[in-house]
Amino acid sequence: MQHSCTPTQKTGLKNPANRTTHPVQCVKLERVMILFDRVTKTYPNQSTAISGMNLHIQPKEFVTIVGSSGAGKSTLIKLMTREEVHTSGKIIVGGLDYDTIGPKDVPQVRRRIGVVFQDFKLLPNRNVAENVAFAMEVSGTRNKEIKRAVPKMLQLVGLANKANNMPQELSGGERQRVAIARALIRQPKILIADEPTGNLDPKNAWEIIELLLKINRFGTTVLLTTHNKEIVNALKRRVITINRGRIIKDEEQGRYAL
Amino acid sequence: MIQFWRVVTTGARNFTRNMWLSMAATAVMTVTLTIVLVSFISNSALTSTIKGVTNKIDVSVYLNDNITSDQLTGFENQLKADPNVVKVTYVSKAQALATYQSENANNQKLLQAISETDNPLPASLEIKTKDPKNLTSVIAIIGQPANAALQSDPPSYSGTNKVTIDRIVHAADFFKNGGTYASILFIIISVLIIFNTIRMAIFTRRDEIEIMKLVGATKWFIRGPFLVEAAMYGIIAAVIALILAYTLVLGGAPKLASYIDVTSTIQIFKDYPILVIGGELIIGIAIGCFSSLLAMSRYLKL
Repeated sequence: MQHSCTPTQKTGLKNPANRTTHPVQCVKLERVMILFDRVTKTYPNQSTAISGMNLHIQPKEFVTIVGSSGAGKSTLIKLMTREEVHTSGKIIVGGLDYDTIGPKDVPQVRRRIGVVFQDFKLLPNRNVAENVAFAMEVSGTRNKEIKRAVPKMLQLVGLANKANNMPQELSGGERQRVAIARALIRQPKILIADEPTGNLDPKNAWEIIELLLKINRFGTTVLLTTHNKEIVNALKRRVITINRGRIIKDEEQGRYAL
Repeated sequence: MIQFWRVVTTGARNFTRNMWLSMAATAVMTVTLTIVLVSFISNSALTSTIKGVTNKIDVSVYLNDNITSDQLTGFENQLKADPNVVKVTYVSKAQALATYQSENANNQKLLQAISETDNPLPASLEIKTKDPKNLTSVIAIIGQPANAALQSDPPSYSGTNKVTIDRIVHAADFFKNGGTYASILFIIISVLIIFNTIRMAIFTRRDEIEIMKLVGATKWFIRGPFLVEAAMYGIIAAVIALILAYTLVLGGAPKLASYIDVTSTIQIFKDYPILVIGGELIIGIAIGCFSSLLAMSRYLKL
């Protein structure tokens, strides 16, 4: 993990000298998918959700984030998707310095990151294929391209035969697959899965986790948050435990410990 | 381009999805645009009617058919010498007939009656005065025995009708202002109704808006359909209002012609249909989009 600490212009870090005292190892930026440098997020009501967090996640990693409710997981994700703006520190995701982006760039940021949620967030009046196509429609992809890409993606998540079903005709696990397909259709570098198994029974939950692992094998960085102890322990992947807005544990083959 | 098209189709689909709300908004907009248009029509018709009334000649002197040109010039010069007289116009028998025929173009019986005889209309001198209420000097000139001998019929004066004319002018002003106020009032009502319709649409589609944000839709891609939807209320309403107005003006004109002067209004409708149609559409779209933007600025936080 030890890399030479050559500050590149891309980092935009104002004072490279400080890096020596930095708790997070210094990494070449092109090797970092997600970088948080002393990031703090204080909400207008003065509550601090993230405080001085340092985090770096490399390309193609599969990282699980655990923490009790209110530990700051949701804020962490919202900072990455730019739903919230950090109060101080530096956030760089996929080489993009979040200090340099304006409100107009936010849609572009979100197109580079796929996100799935516990409650799926599917459009109830559109069928499976249309829900997946929706993510391409908003970014101006041609219909021809959409028609070509959607069936392939449904094939990947194992829903090729459900393209014309409405979301309410699907099981929870299937709905989450649709959400994953929609998140992946634009080939993002990062997939954030925010409690994707929260509403699923163990069998369906495992199928979703296996799908995430498969996606990760294809080269997508996956960030998973979960409360499911069995899943975390069985994954044997990097686990970051956060509490009160700070990282309290970061292990390469972590276990669920709360 | 494909983005624009998707925004338009989404807007149109949302319009049909909330059919009852859309219909209510369109109905209110139709009433408003009809009032705006009727107010415009009556304004222009009343204005030209009043212009016609107030520009009416003050005194008409009817002349014998056998008057000589020397007699005519003498009479004319006498009148022109009067300081109250602004203008004296000679109207020949032929001109009088032509005017009569055009004024009664819609009345076949009168036209037929007049064509069956030799031109029965006398030539005349039309006198426009500075002060139509004080015609003593003019009447004195007309009444001189030498001049009276030249006349076929007693002269007609408008002075006695002046009070009535003033009243008509006032009434017309009242209606014109009333039309403007009604237009403004109904535009405000439309704005409020459409504001509420779009507000409800934003609430019912908040999940969809959240998902659009999530998958990286731009602000205008999210706002666009609400603008399209509101513009559709305006466009549909404008079309209905225009059909009503054209039927009213072009169909009802002959019946109205004897009361008010609608010729200039008809002229506007016939000569500048693009102006009338375009103007009405623009007003409708503007009201819709303005209300929609207002609702979005309050309730659509992106």
